[in-house]
Amino acid sequence: MYSIKNIVKKMTFKHILFYALILFSFVASLVFVHNNYSYYERPIVEVTKVDLESKNKIIDLWNNEDFQFTQSLIAEVKNGKEKGENVHLENDYSLSKGYDHEFQVGDELFITFDADMEGNEGLTGTILDVKRDKYLLIVSWIFIFILLIVGKKQGLFSIVSLVINALLLSYALDIYVNNAEISLLLICSISVILFTVISLVLVNGWNEKTHAAIIATLLGVFITLFISYLALRVTSGEGLRYEELQFITRPYEVVFLAGLFLGSLGAVMDVAITMSSSIFGLYEKNNNISIKAIIKSGMEIGKDIMGTMTNILLFAYVSGSIPILMLYFKNAYPFGETLTMNLSLELARALAGGIGVVLTIPLGLYTTIFFVKRKRAKSS
Amino acid sequence: MNVLVLLAAILFILMIIIGGRKGLRSFIALFLNFGVIIVTVLLMNDPNVNPIILTLIACVIISWISLFYINEVNKKTKTAFLSSIISTIFLLLFILFITDKAMIQGFGEEEIMELSIFSFYIGVDFVKIAASVIIMSTIGAITDTAIAISSPMNEIYYHNPDISREELFKAGLNIGRDILGTSANTLFFAFFGGYLALLIWFKDLSYSLGEIVNSKIFNAEMITILCAGMGVTLVIPITSWITAYILVEKNKNTSKQM
Repeated sequence: MYSIKNIVKKMTFKHILFYALILFSFVASLVFVHNNYSYYERPIVEVTKVDLESKNKIIDLWNNEDFQFTQSLIAEVKNGKEKGENVHLENDYSLSKGYDHEFQVGDELFITFDADMEGNEGLTGTILDVKRDKYLLIVSWIFIFILLIVGKKQGLFSIVSLVINALLLSYALDIYVNNAEISLLLICSISVILFTVISLVLVNGWNEKTHAAIIATLLGVFITLFISYLALRVTSGEGLRYEELQFITRPYEVVFLAGLFLGSLGAVMDVAITMSSSIFGLYEKNNNISIKAIIKSGMEIGKDIMGTMTNILLFAYVSGSIPILMLYFKNAYPFGETLTMNLSLELARALAGGIGVVLTIPLGLYTTIFFVKRKRAKSS
Repeated sequence: MNVLVLLAAILFILMIIIGGRKGLRSFIALFLNFGVIIVTVLLMNDPNVNPIILTLIACVIISWISLFYINEVNKKTKTAFLSSIISTIFLLLFILFITDKAMIQGFGEEEIMELSIFSFYIGVDFVKIAASVIIMSTIGAITDTAIAISSPMNEIYYHNPDISREELFKAGLNIGRDILGTSANTLFFAFFGGYLALLIWFKDLSYSLGEIVNSKIFNAEMITILCAGMGVTLVIPITSWITAYILVEKNKNTSKQM
């Protein structure tokens, strides 16, 4: 094990500068997010006193038992012209907290002030929402620290690639939102090419392995998109319940296809880079390995990753629907209807992603073989 | 014909052609895992059952299916299984804490409009459900990373039986670092794809930055992405350590016996 002394000795000036910079931004952002009240237009308050006023048992139409509580809160206003004054708030919440919150001393909330009524002592207000920015920031920092500590350089690259991809996506959507005439699929196609190149080069460097993986990934996702599009056309979209795309301001089929396209990209990239690095690994170990042997080993590797990769997508998509499934079940919705209403799009995404994963195995294999052959021809 | 049936049929044929018998098992595992999720949700409907305990049991079954059914029961899958479970428990404790603090449970105001016909007083603890959702989203990736590390570590140990525990642990970390970027990307893009409609919604209704970073839905989804990233990262040292510990310890015992 390293002692701290050794670690400090081994660090170069660049490292120290980097860590100092990280530490500084950590502290600065924490200080900022705890004191950024004046940047918000909506009034923010901090709860200073909580009294439980009442507790009632409620039984709904479907015999679900729950308790409803009423809290009376005193809170200090943190911004605006009422800053420093106390405001009185009422809050109802239930034990299940599906759409309400229980507040404690120290919680920060967005409120609106009630219009002044006669005979009222002091300010009253209505709670709008919770101030969550500080929690998001803390989780982000924990994420960054864990990735840096465990992943070192590769961890840093993952963070950089996440940030670049997120910014790129946000920018691409800006273009889409502001230019109605450009198709979302076209924008996503261009973004997908950029995402692929950026992520794979950041993760793996600029070399033949990466080139093979980039080509295999692009072939994989575009063929997946094409198959999904055909499947939608052939069946005229039967079985898909678009009403579960709750947030929808645009033609839903295109938004769904674009999401499917983007969602399968990560898994397809993963398969493509696994195939190309392991096949190049085989070639580097034995320069004279026959193409037949490469195909055989490559297919074995592909079989090994196929199962777990398709499962990753299934869980990533379907799990998000658990709360809404519970709401439906508890409201006595029929079982089959609940599943088709809430899971059709997630399952379609998972299945299409799975198709992408499986297709990329031979695509990655043969693309890499092409690069291996070229390298061999060059060297001989 | 139904789109889902058609897509499932295409996937099934492709898996059989490319994967043979293992492909068939992977396809069946997909359906078994889906079944586990649905059964878990049905069991969560009982208000007397703790959703967290249920989630842990579900994760054990899911890892079991993904590791022992698709692959086989051997040293590699056993260490991967143990590491997945331990990583899941670690991650769960953190997630429980943060979902409670950030109050990201249940539904956001954007979702509530369409759900107004429903009763929300259903007697289940949505804070715990929210933690379950994050864990279940990540469990597939956690098991995948665990097996991707423990499998080559076993190979290394097989080829160099004299390797010390510390060296083997470091080798595991290095393997983990190499796959970290791609595993994280798999999850990031899966979530980006799932949240695309939400992102367009924010842009179309021109939410201000302040509104976005404090909204429940955005926070819930960002925290899911970040926790998933932490999950696939934390599993790296945990798997490396457990695998190194189990493999090298055994070696010492056998040499003593001889």
